Amino acid sequence: MNEQYLSVFLDESREYVQSLNESLLKLEKNPRDEETINETFRILHTLKGMAGTMGFEHMAKLSHRMEQLLDKVRSKRITLTSDLLDRLFAGVDMIDRMINNIASGGNDQADEEDLKSLMDAFEVVQEEKVQEQSVNSQTKEEPDGVDDSVMKVIQEASKEGYNAFKVRVALAEGTLMKAVRMYMVFKAIEDSGGQILSSVPPVEDIEQEKFDREVELVVITKQNAESLHKVISSISEIEKVTVLTITKGQGKPNEEEEEKEEEVQEKVEIVEEKTPEQKISQKRRLVQTVRVDIDKLDTLMNLMGELVISRSRISDILKKYNIKEVDESLSQLNRITLDLQNVVMKIRMVPIAFVFNRFPRMVRDLAKQLSKEINFIIEGEDTELDRTFVEDIGEPLVHLLRNAIDHGIETKEERIAKGKSPVGTVVLSARHEGNTVVIEVKDDGRGIDRNAVVRKAIEKGLISEAQAESMPDEKVYELLFLPGFSTRSDATELSGRGVGMDAVKSVVESLNGTVKIESIKDRGTTVTIRLPLTLAIIQALLVTVNNHVYAIPIANIDSTLNVPANKVQKLQDRLVTVIRGEIIPLVKLWEVFGLNGRKEEQYYNTVIVRVGNRKYGLVVDSLIGQEDIVIKSLGKIFSDVRIFSGGAILGDGSIALILDVSNVV
Amino acid sequence: MADLSEFEVFVFGVGSQDMAFDVEYVSIVIEKTDITPVPRAKKNVLGVMNLRGRIVPVIDLAAMLGLSSKDSAEGKIVVVNYEDIETGFLVERVRGVMRFRSDDVEKMQKFESFGEKSKGIIKKQEELIIHLNVGKILEELTMSS
Repeated sequence: MNEQYLSVFLDESREYVQSLNESLLKLEKNPRDEETINETFRILHTLKGMAGTMGFEHMAKLSHRMEQLLDKVRSKRITLTSDLLDRLFAGVDMIDRMINNIASGGNDQADEEDLKSLMDAFEVVQEEKVQEQSVNSQTKEEPDGVDDSVMKVIQEASKEGYNAFKVRVALAEGTLMKAVRMYMVFKAIEDSGGQILSSVPPVEDIEQEKFDREVELVVITKQNAESLHKVISSISEIEKVTVLTITKGQGKPNEEEEEKEEEVQEKVEIVEEKTPEQKISQKRRLVQTVRVDIDKLDTLMNLMGELVISRSRISDILKKYNIKEVDESLSQLNRITLDLQNVVMKIRMVPIAFVFNRFPRMVRDLAKQLSKEINFIIEGEDTELDRTFVEDIGEPLVHLLRNAIDHGIETKEERIAKGKSPVGTVVLSARHEGNTVVIEVKDDGRGIDRNAVVRKAIEKGLISEAQAESMPDEKVYELLFLPGFSTRSDATELSGRGVGMDAVKSVVESLNGTVKIESIKDRGTTVTIRLPLTLAIIQALLVTVNNHVYAIPIANIDSTLNVPANKVQKLQDRLVTVIRGEIIPLVKLWEVFGLNGRKEEQYYNTVIVRVGNRKYGLVVDSLIGQEDIVIKSLGKIFSDVRIFSGGAILGDGSIALILDVSNVV
Repeated sequence: MADLSEFEVFVFGVGSQDMAFDVEYVSIVIEKTDITPVPRAKKNVLGVMNLRGRIVPVIDLAAMLGLSSKDSAEGKIVVVNYEDIETGFLVERVRGVMRFRSDDVEKMQKFESFGEKSKGIIKKQEELIIHLNVGKILEELTMSS
């Protein structure tokens, strides 16, 4: 088998499994959502085709069964029950397992028994439902109603002898110049004395080919349905025409003739015979993405960094010689590099939805398993973060969500007894805050039992009783992050917050992030994760301290000031100055760096920085200027040096250390 | 039976002592260049240097091994690449790659004061070369203190 295709197959099928989960969840909320039913059907069909092509028989077979089931749902022969959805979910899970199996070098061999019983389950459902349906098979497809305003026109027109029809025109697969073809339909209707009152999608969209293959029109004409049908069918490359009479009364069109309906049925069959390849290519056109190896992106990013450095170097040199002729080209080069930089950076950023979208399914299953009702809310899934985080942050979030649902949210009875809504709420949110991405998992459950945590900590000899007394809640919750603080057996006692919390913390810290717990008894718990954006290129202010150059990220800077020495006072051992009525603590950077014994100066060159909502003044020797710098890690040897977040190579080849402002003040 | 397999080491001098790294870890040797000190870094860490656009830490090997060294502008930086992490070691002089037989090494006799940082002593004719353990040295440097 071709390895190259295999990886594409795996990637895509994983995506499809994700989409399947999403659509099934949607269907669970609204089992009659036709669009989603169709979508689910399409995905299964594609998956079947892909699996078949790659020779994964079991997967193809399973998808085929599920697809058949969905087809029956689609054609309204059976209705989706929650039992049926559960089986479909189970099917998706099995496909997922098959994919994982294939990925780890195996094949799509699932447990024969499981597979068979699952398939049988689909079969049984199908049969019994079909029989059930055949009893009351009178329900026919009812076309959608017609807009009120259009209805008025129709009523007016009917007085003058016009008939109103709802016309559905579908173009043949692969029709070129769809807009032109549709224009011919419009023209044919108008030439035959008809008027088009409305169309779905709207005419503008049709002109721009923004439609798939089908268009729905409301037409008034003095002709009858038969001849209107003929007029439209005479145009080539039309696959299917349906003409429905709109009756004046209720605005719901009825099927005109039995004969036509049959024709429609027949066409539907044809539609379904599309080859999988066509389906896939259709999907592709819709998404318009290219898969890129992450290593290539990293290389691109590094090259981008080198380019920025070279550019700075060139402009440094040219500044020395002051050559007018190159000024314009240079500023153009600057612009282009800046644009390029932005694009490259954006490529690395992906919406956090990539992480979040697998959770609704997980939450649903967990809630069902624990027979709790959970209202799971996701906010800010558009928030973008660096691609490298996406893989790592999923696991910690799983831990946090599990904890919230399993231990945070109380049982229904307990909630009712507390006067809370029986439905628990879990909110997973993401947002940008300055240079960080903030991810929160928030529940409205019972909160963390401080006393239980303290008891446990004393038991384990982590703190003394005296310490425990004076410990603020915040510190108490931090105990939960200690490795092995809680084990599974006593998890419930502690609201299980200790389960995997040390793992959560270590992952977040490995990404240079922080994690914090807040909790109020019976009101709930919020766990906040903060991650750096890690925009590899930032704007920074270059300053000197003791003849070495340091960089302060512009994002942290409020302003720069020259503070006269006589405006600096001492307040509780801290140097402060008052600026516009605001007391600002001053930090002499050379003292932070451990370089003392300098003579006092007349002026303090001060960079005002913001940390949280407080301001601090960093005192430096001199300001050099603003520059784009490429952040590079200093490496593990410096992992304990918290005051620097990295280093950057400047235009002259020297290194500027980048201050991590929040750890300096 | 004598072990006849051969191995190659990169030999350099710190103070009056000759030492060696396993040759496979040594990626490049450069003249001493500008080193940017990193305030609050561990002791024995001189700072960082710009190695072809990469930021690489530089370690004072003599200080780390508790040897005295001449503090001069001269010297070389031996850059080792261990598990994809580059680290520069400041040394006084470089002798180059040398080939020894395994039975040239006295494994028993570890260089006591270096502890785990030495793998053994290479003894050939009158020469005594301390064979350093790159992995252990880096481990000690990355250990959080």
